[in-house]
Amino acid sequence: MNRINPLHIAGLLIFILIFFMVKLSSAKDDLTDTKKLYQETLSLATQLKGLNEVYSNKSKVENSLKMLLKNSSLTASNIKQKNSTAGIVLNSQSIDKTALNFLMGKLLNGSYNIISLKIKRLSEKNASLEMEIKW
Amino acid sequence: MFTKFNKKLDTIFLDPHSENFETKESVNVMLSPSLYWVKKVSLPVKYTREVKALLPSLFEDILPDGVYSYSAYKSGDHFFIFAYEDKLILDILSAKGVVPTQVHNVYFAQSELSYIEDAVKINDSQSMILKNELLVLVPSSWIENSIELDRLDVSKLSLSKNSITLKQFGHIVNDKALYTIATIFILFIAVVAVEYFITLHKISTTAALRDKLFVKNALKPTMMQNRSILKELQDVHTIQTKFREYVSHILSLQLEKSEKLTLLSLKANTLIAEFSEVQKGSEANIEKVFKSKNMKYKSSFKESTWHVEIEL
Repeated sequence: MNRINPLHIAGLLIFILIFFMVKLSSAKDDLTDTKKLYQETLSLATQLKGLNEVYSNKSKVENSLKMLLKNSSLTASNIKQKNSTAGIVLNSQSIDKTALNFLMGKLLNGSYNIISLKIKRLSEKNASLEMEIKW
Repeated sequence: MFTKFNKKLDTIFLDPHSENFETKESVNVMLSPSLYWVKKVSLPVKYTREVKALLPSLFEDILPDGVYSYSAYKSGDHFFIFAYEDKLILDILSAKGVVPTQVHNVYFAQSELSYIEDAVKINDSQSMILKNELLVLVPSSWIENSIELDRLDVSKLSLSKNSITLKQFGHIVNDKALYTIATIFILFIAVVAVEYFITLHKISTTAALRDKLFVKNALKPTMMQNRSILKELQDVHTIQTKFREYVSHILSLQLEKSEKLTLLSLKANTLIAEFSEVQKGSEANIEKVFKSKNMKYKSSFKESTWHVEIEL
């Protein structure tokens, strides 16, 4: 005879429903945060990959500079290279303006992290060059 | 009227005219014929459960308005079918001092007293007699010989299995509506629960994808480290872009015939340019270009050499 009060059952069902709705709401917030974090990580990873490719790729910088300095128009300029763990220093006591134009055109249009530069006019046709590229 | 039938558990005979019961113990309740409607029917079905579905229609024409529950049991080739009002019975029980929690089982007098041969007097005005196997109420004045209810030989009486359960809340909401509402609620809970577990799964999947990103792109363990590295590289990119842009502006300057660019230098994020043979005042043309390009600079003269430091 001691039947369960339907109001108690209704109360229990409402409680379970509210419980799951609260849990669902909280889980949805967590999902939003997790997705946001994933998107942020994806964006950060893409940007880091791109920028590392451009500015921190040692072998790429070394190879492209090697190819560039082998160019016949630069051989007469006697450009000295000094490699270090952090980068490379290029130095020429006297470089003619055609070679300088060629070299600077290549370097400025390429993806090199030039951290220091000094081009000093020596005469109408010549200049001295000192440049440090970091990787 | 209070009759003890059972040594273990008291059984009370409930009639609207019963006296109040003075008990706090659990009791079985036997319902007087005045508290239910009974029919003896013969139906072309084998099992009681098949009859139960037909009960409301079998009583349809005879019951007064009210909220009824139904019961049935088989006896020989016939079925005894019952209709009763839970609320009415519960109200009478309460009026007689018995609360619903005290009630152990409820029986119809029909099923428990079907052995009686003589009329049984319930009160001064009503008696019970067995007629065609049906226990019915008749006015006591019709009966010449009857026995008092208290004198029933209780030692021979054993309660049957034909008990019923009173619905305490049947008058508030009927079973069908209750089951419908409960089913809707349970379905809704199931939907919400399923969505909750799907959401949890999505969270773990997204977190796993993020972990893969770390491995694939060789990211540092914490986002703080990665953000710091990115900031550093973005600064490098900004400086390098500005450096190239400003060098381009400087090399595109329209200088006077005598003016020469003698030095171009980059040090500590500062671009330095020196122009020789510059007449004081004629540097305004160059400054005009710098300002139009939003270049932040400071300049000074040393004899005829104009020294400019541009912030990257």
